[in-house]
Amino acid sequence: MSISFKVLGLAVSALALTHLPAAAQTKVTNEGISPTEIVIGTHQDLSGPIKVWGVPVSNGMKMAVEEINAAGGINGRKLRLILEDNGYDPKKAVLASQKMVERDKIFAMIGPMGSPTVLAAQDILFDAGVLQLFPLTAAEFTFKFDPAKPQERLKFNNLLPYVESTRAAIKYMMETKNFKKPCLMHQDDEYGKNVLDGFNQQLAAMKVTPASITSYKRGASDFSAPVAKMKSDGCDLVVLGTVIRETIGAMGEAKKLGWNVTFLGATPTNVLEVPALGKEAVEGLYAASGFEIPYEDTARGKVKDWLVNYKKMFNTDANTQAIIGYNAVMTFAYYVNKAGKDLTGQKVLDSLESGDKFLDIFNSPPTKFSKTDHLANTVTQVQQIQNGRWVLVKDNLMF
Amino acid sequence: MRFMFKTDYEDDIRLFPHSGYLISYGSLLVLLVIAPFVLSSYLVSQLVFVCIYATVGVGLMILTGFTGQASLGHAAFLAIGAYTAAYLQQFNVPFPLYFVAAGLLTGIIGALVGFPALRLQGIYLVIATISFALIVEEILARWESVTNGNEGMRVKTIQLLGTAVPRDSPTFYFLCLGVLILTIVGTLNLLRSPTGRAFVAIRDSETAARSMGVNVSLYKVKSFAISAAITGFAGCLFAHKLSFISPEMFTLQLSIEFIIVILIGGAFSLHGAVLGAIFIVMIDPFLTYLKDDVPGMIAGMAAALGAGSERAAHIQSNVAAFASANGLKGAIYGVIIVLFVLFEPLGLYGRWLKIKLFFQLFPLYKRATFKRQKIYVKSERNR
Repeated sequence: MSISFKVLGLAVSALALTHLPAAAQTKVTNEGISPTEIVIGTHQDLSGPIKVWGVPVSNGMKMAVEEINAAGGINGRKLRLILEDNGYDPKKAVLASQKMVERDKIFAMIGPMGSPTVLAAQDILFDAGVLQLFPLTAAEFTFKFDPAKPQERLKFNNLLPYVESTRAAIKYMMETKNFKKPCLMHQDDEYGKNVLDGFNQQLAAMKVTPASITSYKRGASDFSAPVAKMKSDGCDLVVLGTVIRETIGAMGEAKKLGWNVTFLGATPTNVLEVPALGKEAVEGLYAASGFEIPYEDTARGKVKDWLVNYKKMFNTDANTQAIIGYNAVMTFAYYVNKAGKDLTGQKVLDSLESGDKFLDIFNSPPTKFSKTDHLANTVTQVQQIQNGRWVLVKDNLMF
Repeated sequence: MRFMFKTDYEDDIRLFPHSGYLISYGSLLVLLVIAPFVLSSYLVSQLVFVCIYATVGVGLMILTGFTGQASLGHAAFLAIGAYTAAYLQQFNVPFPLYFVAAGLLTGIIGALVGFPALRLQGIYLVIATISFALIVEEILARWESVTNGNEGMRVKTIQLLGTAVPRDSPTFYFLCLGVLILTIVGTLNLLRSPTGRAFVAIRDSETAARSMGVNVSLYKVKSFAISAAITGFAGCLFAHKLSFISPEMFTLQLSIEFIIVILIGGAFSLHGAVLGAIFIVMIDPFLTYLKDDVPGMIAGMAAALGAGSERAAHIQSNVAAFASANGLKGAIYGVIIVLFVLFEPLGLYGRWLKIKLFFQLFPLYKRATFKRQKIYVKSERNR
């Protein structure tokens, strides 16, 4: 009697146990993991308006995959990368994601490109239990998650967010150089809006009123009007929420007017193309950044080898974008390796949330996640263009 | 070959002129109904986009194909529909209500656009519609309290009769298919009514239409309003399918895609709108299939021809490298469009009609049957 009661009790509690956690449990897929292979996917803009980002990022990812496979894979499993073009079109991103989930059976989506493209497609991944790791958009949707929705735990980001990095860089500049009248010129899109938010939040925190805020449409090439306005408003620090061409255009315009003012760019200006194309026009530009940009002639050790290999493989110099793509795959590989030989999706998720620190070869701030925080870090640097090269000014900044 | 013997006016305007139509469209409908249960959700997703694009295509066809008013502003109408839905959804307005509101509001705005467009013809009308689209894009980016600006809006799952309709479910597909079918049937009805005939008359010759007593201004505005309203309905579905909308999604490029839908499909028929939508949506996944599968097939053929396995693998990797070259898909897509415009100005549907007639008249097919007959009045030629 008592034994059968125990059995019944055990059965009931077992039943309860299998049912209770189901509501809060995150479903992680095991698709794409075989004894010999792990399939990963990404969708990049290879033919649309931001292909200057998509192409080098995908190159960096390919290089990381080749390197890992040449070294024998991760615990004996080789990586296979499925790359699709989204053309910065959310419709194509949705279809590409579905294709990769259903046809290619990817285990994780790594480094997908662009805000509208990533946001339109991410639910497809979560529903299928596919991890969305390190997308190339700084939107909050890619790392902030609602604990009540277990599938949202599948998102992680390691890109330095624009709001936080802009705030940290402005704080440093204002405090050390004692600027009184900061201004902002930003692109009229989601990225520019983030820089604007960071600018406004930091100035409010420091109780400074902005001297002027101007914006321009993406694709604009004439900046004489906004620069002249900022000059007449008496700005002493110009914060730029710009990309490559606009940074050069705005600074060139200031030089033309003979206006000697300090410029501080948001993280997207911290790329090799700016000093390479802008030459003396961009000399002296400060920028917020996540990590130091390596140069082939001064780099040493692993970084030097990496730069040489990249050039050999793709016949072009490596840039920031390539490093970001390379690091995305390397970070993934690090945590998969930690998850052990007997690999499952759940183990990879646990490994990502374990708080283990990943350190890359480029001396970036360490990457780490926890059960509640899926954003790697907000540690910012400030760099400056001196004699046509990016030089580190200050490390380890927070706001 | 079937000879139609018409005895009264009803015969002339019947939606299904003979039983063959019922059989072919009936079987098509059956196929479409069972599609979500046999196809993968990747393919069903493509069909959903086809339905949405075809709905927009039908709307644009009414304006451009049947009334002769070109528009490069339909992305803006789509945006208005999408944002209306996303905005009203925040206040827990039920789906049927905001779906109708999306169409109505877009229709009203379409009519307002139609008024200034009355004085414009041809290329100037195109410029005006582009400007309208730019203004809408700007408003979406600026009016942050309503549109959330450049950060965009998330669109929640549809709640219909107390149940959720996820964007990948068969129900959502049926919803889009239903909207498309209703739009097509409604448009067919419209076209056989006095309004539809007035549209066609305006397209063929405004002067002639006016001299026959057609109120050209009124019908042009009507055409704009109807076309915009249909696009607004599609916009609501588009927002739900993508689950996220932002101003940068509704650019000139999307308007151009819609124009390509009706150009590729065939500019003077509703079949064209659907065929064009199938082309625009499915060409990219199709080229992706080719990219994935052709290298393996070629290697298989090479091996069968006695090339040796090592050589076959070498060929496979080379073909794969070529097939996944950046931008190759875009180039192929562009070439297809150029070839269409050069060699098949009547579009996919025109090609189908020619093939059909070829077999019906075999072996007596005459190429001249499809030669363009329209002769312009001199005063209208340069518009």
